[in-house]
Amino acid sequence: MNENNEKILQVNNLKVYYYTSKGTVKAVDDISFFLRKGETLGLVGESGCGKTTTGVALLKMPTPPGKIAGGEIIIDNQNIVELSEKDVRKNVRWEKIAMVFQGAMNCLTPVYTIGKQMMETLTEHKQMNKEDAKKLIVKYLNLVGLPEHIVNRYPHELSGGMKQRVVIAMALFLEPKVIVCDEPTTALDVIVQAQIINLLKDLKQKLNLSFIFITHDLATEAEVSDRILVMYAGKVAEIGTNQQIYGKQGPMHPYTQKLLKATPRIHEKVDELSFIPGTPPDLLDPPKGCRFHLRCSEAMDICREKEPQLIEVEKDHCVACWRCTKNV
Amino acid sequence: MYWKYAAKRIFYGILMYIILIFIFSVLFNATNEATTKAQIEESLRGETTKMRNMDVQEVQKYMAERRAYKYHLYHLDQPIFQRIVWRTIDTITLNFGNSTNIKSAKGERDVWTIVSETIPRTILLFTTAMILELLLGVWLGLKKAQRAGGILDKSTSIATMVVYGMPRWWLGMIMIMFFAYQINIFPSGGLHTVPPPQGFAYFLDILYHMALPMLTLLIIDFWGTAYLTRNIVLGTLQEDFVMSARARGIPENKVLFGHTMRTSAPPIVTMALLSLLSSISGNILFEGIFSWPGMGNLYWIAIEQNDVPVLMGLLAITTALYIAGLVILDLIYGFLDPRIKVGGKA
Amino acid sequence: MKMKDLKFWLKDFWTEYKKVKFGIVGFVFLIIFLLLMIFEPYIVPFSKASSRWRDITYWDDNPSGAPPVWTNWFSSKKSPESEKITKYQSEVIEGDLKFVNSTFEYDYKYDKAPLDIIFHGRGTGNMIMIVKMERPDGETFDLVQMPIQTDGGNDIRITLDKDSGAAAYDFAQKFENEENLQYVDKTSVKPLDIYFAQAKSDMLNKIEPLKGIYKFTVTTILLDQESSYEDPYMVVSGRVSGILGTDNSKRDIWSGVVAGVKWALLIGLLTAVIAVGIGVVYGVISAYYGGFVDSIMQRIFELFASTPLLPVLIVMSAVFKPSIWTMILMMCAFFWTGPVKTVRSMALQIKEETYIEASKAVGASNARLIFKHMVPILVPYSFASMALYVPSAIVYEATISLIGLGDATIVTWGQILHDALKGGAVLTGLWWWVVPPGIMIALMGMTFAFIGFAMDKILQPKLRTR
Repeated sequence: MNENNEKILQVNNLKVYYYTSKGTVKAVDDISFFLRKGETLGLVGESGCGKTTTGVALLKMPTPPGKIAGGEIIIDNQNIVELSEKDVRKNVRWEKIAMVFQGAMNCLTPVYTIGKQMMETLTEHKQMNKEDAKKLIVKYLNLVGLPEHIVNRYPHELSGGMKQRVVIAMALFLEPKVIVCDEPTTALDVIVQAQIINLLKDLKQKLNLSFIFITHDLATEAEVSDRILVMYAGKVAEIGTNQQIYGKQGPMHPYTQKLLKATPRIHEKVDELSFIPGTPPDLLDPPKGCRFHLRCSEAMDICREKEPQLIEVEKDHCVACWRCTKNV
Repeated sequence: MYWKYAAKRIFYGILMYIILIFIFSVLFNATNEATTKAQIEESLRGETTKMRNMDVQEVQKYMAERRAYKYHLYHLDQPIFQRIVWRTIDTITLNFGNSTNIKSAKGERDVWTIVSETIPRTILLFTTAMILELLLGVWLGLKKAQRAGGILDKSTSIATMVVYGMPRWWLGMIMIMFFAYQINIFPSGGLHTVPPPQGFAYFLDILYHMALPMLTLLIIDFWGTAYLTRNIVLGTLQEDFVMSARARGIPENKVLFGHTMRTSAPPIVTMALLSLLSSISGNILFEGIFSWPGMGNLYWIAIEQNDVPVLMGLLAITTALYIAGLVILDLIYGFLDPRIKVGGKA
Repeated sequence: MKMKDLKFWLKDFWTEYKKVKFGIVGFVFLIIFLLLMIFEPYIVPFSKASSRWRDITYWDDNPSGAPPVWTNWFSSKKSPESEKITKYQSEVIEGDLKFVNSTFEYDYKYDKAPLDIIFHGRGTGNMIMIVKMERPDGETFDLVQMPIQTDGGNDIRITLDKDSGAAAYDFAQKFENEENLQYVDKTSVKPLDIYFAQAKSDMLNKIEPLKGIYKFTVTTILLDQESSYEDPYMVVSGRVSGILGTDNSKRDIWSGVVAGVKWALLIGLLTAVIAVGIGVVYGVISAYYGGFVDSIMQRIFELFASTPLLPVLIVMSAVFKPSIWTMILMMCAFFWTGPVKTVRSMALQIKEETYIEASKAVGASNARLIFKHMVPILVPYSFASMALYVPSAIVYEATISLIGLGDATIVTWGQILHDALKGGAVLTGLWWWVVPPGIMIALMGMTFAFIGFAMDKILQPKLRTR
């Protein structure tokens, strides 16, 4: 990872709200970050913290009844939030930013062959004759380690791992700038998981790709990410490099610390499993002040009153916590 | 893969049919035999009235002989289980015997002739109605799914529920009262006017007579199909692969008509055809109300005239058609769903 | 499921149910039907309609094929309504022979004459009955004069249409011109048309109504001490009758239709509950035992599912001529297949739950697991299913009745429609005979459709998250 690489994705003050009959759920509430070329930014957090919402929002496809309520998503000097749906569909989605879903589940249409689905995607975005298109498809299938005849298979004929590879190939073959991976390995067994992760790392190196890697599995995150963004209750808790978060010094935000502690290390002796007491807050009516303060063992008075801002405490390391940033 | 599936299904269907006919034979054995015996007596009397030059004793002896012969011919002298088996075989081989009263168009008494005359007319009416209703229903269902929860959706859902318990034949009665008698637009029944016109006009005449029954059928049926289609399509739209297709930049109409519809096709077709098959019931009465000379109308006549052989023949044929319909349904489903068509893993 | 749990679940369910608008509509309709059923004897003029539907004497005083009374609103010429007049002025003159005079007042304000006027009374012994009429224009004359002999308290029935023909002709003769009298046959004259017409020349051809108060006096001359005549009343058999008119057997259709409510509810609910009950238990047992038992049960199920229901029901009804109870049983014998497939797949899911495994480990018997653990979860689905089966059952019964294979001893809407079809109601345009029973079937179907779909809507998302 080269710190001097250009920023290819800039997200400013992004808000994604779900407008339900019970009220407005502030799933993503004012988050900002950037992605550099050739780096992998990991997005971690508990279930429901807003990371998947962020992921789909980057393609300007929040799940209904969700809507992007504010902020900017800037790719290629364009704020895609302002673009029309038609524009986004034609020029941005998949060409500039693509997504790798949990392919092992259900994200390939069961009634079309793999080849048809890939061809359809290709011809939608690029003008190509059939020959060249087929060549491109096969090239990428081979890249992810799949043989050519997969083109004629239906999704149900493939194993979970194979489906995941197809999904990856589909995300890559238009050569987008940013690739969002949403829990790509969660539904796979451990061995296949390892294969996929190696594949991703391999591809990243070969093709100089930029990833946003969303997962709740800290171990996977540690393996693949260059920088890590920790989300909590729709807000950014901490952003730091792999070393800063997972290294000996450890993270600064109390939440991140507890998160890491809750994952037992294979080399440590564990007498008791630690956990974070309480439950994540209701995003219909988030608590005042810092969203973590009700579960934080080190909450101060100000934490209950005012929301902490995301402040850089050292190079490439930002924290949103009153206790951590009071000396800055 | 598919052929194995198809063959299995067809085999099963035939097996079911044989078992059912056997059960019917058991169930209705007493009545059937009584009818056969009555017919034998009738034919015996027919034979002996012509014999004037024999005395009473000789006639009796002759009748006893003939009776024994006929009983043997119809297996009536065998133990009960054999009789039932014979009847099953007869039924399956379309050997239904003669009717008690009813005559076919040409005046024949053979039950199979009588029944088979009516089959094409029933198929004409109901297949046409079914196709129309499927097309309209699926189209409306799609529209509803596109704006789920909107005014069209809600109002048509209410319409579905309003006609849910409405008997088709009653609506037919009302339609006839209104459109055929009050306002004389449509004919009140029958297949065609008497005497039938020739050539192309004949074809038009039949259409004219089909119009009112079809209209009645459509009014009730297609709401249900629309409602089912809407639910299935909505269910499919929530699947991940739809979102994934959208994320890949596929235009919305391709997502809807290609990915969604194609995936929804098997359950929609199944549901639609199933509900249509089960509506065979109401159709029987329905034909009667409109005097449409199909199988349903024949049921009416057979009941009124208490013609048991015709009823049995009708039952056998109806069951055969019903099971055939179920089998065809499964075959279509298997064809549309690649998981069955292609099967297995690579 | 404990009582406390049940109550809680019901309350929770009700709050959800209230939100679905059409569910409430359905529920309201159901309440209306139940009220109709409960208050039937009070709201229909002929409370014995159920038991005496085929008894012609019960209906004898009604007009045949008469439209409902409210059709009068829409016509310029008002037809008289059927009425029962029980108020009378009594006068008893003692003497050698006892004269009992009962005078009835009838307010005639219509443009057409009634079809008949009938006088009833309970009499014993020997008597002479005379009916006299006093018209608003002052004309008074005897209509009927007949001797009656009857034993113990029988109903004596005098009808003007049949019994007063001669009097009518004589009356007309006084006013009509010679020419018309020549053309008119004495026996073809309709007495009541004359009684209520203005007395003048040409009254036989062009009838103009004479409106006003008519007084009818029934004089009973009791010929001996033992004879008596009591409780007289007068019935006007109008041209319009009742809330829903009459059929051509003179039966009041409103009474018949309301009588049919209880049968529809009974048939529908009984069939639905039994059939769904069997189907659910069948599906659960099949899923629970799995393996060989499951296969067998599934084959049996397929056999039943391959039969076209109505044709079989029809032929069975034609051959065995069943009563309504046997018919319900037959319907249940086929309806149970409906829920089986869905229930089985749901039960298969439940079977995989660990608490089932746990219960087994603790030593729970199969029956206990099936009935105490698995079936209760399916109860909500069962109710939705039942609601949606009621209309089918009702329509099936109506269908069988329509063909004439139904149970003729009871009054169901199907029976009424059968009579209508047989009586040529469609041809002669007696819409009030055809429309109401069918609408009731449709309404009840709609009611249960609303309820069933509402329940389905609430229960579906809960099922999905499983």
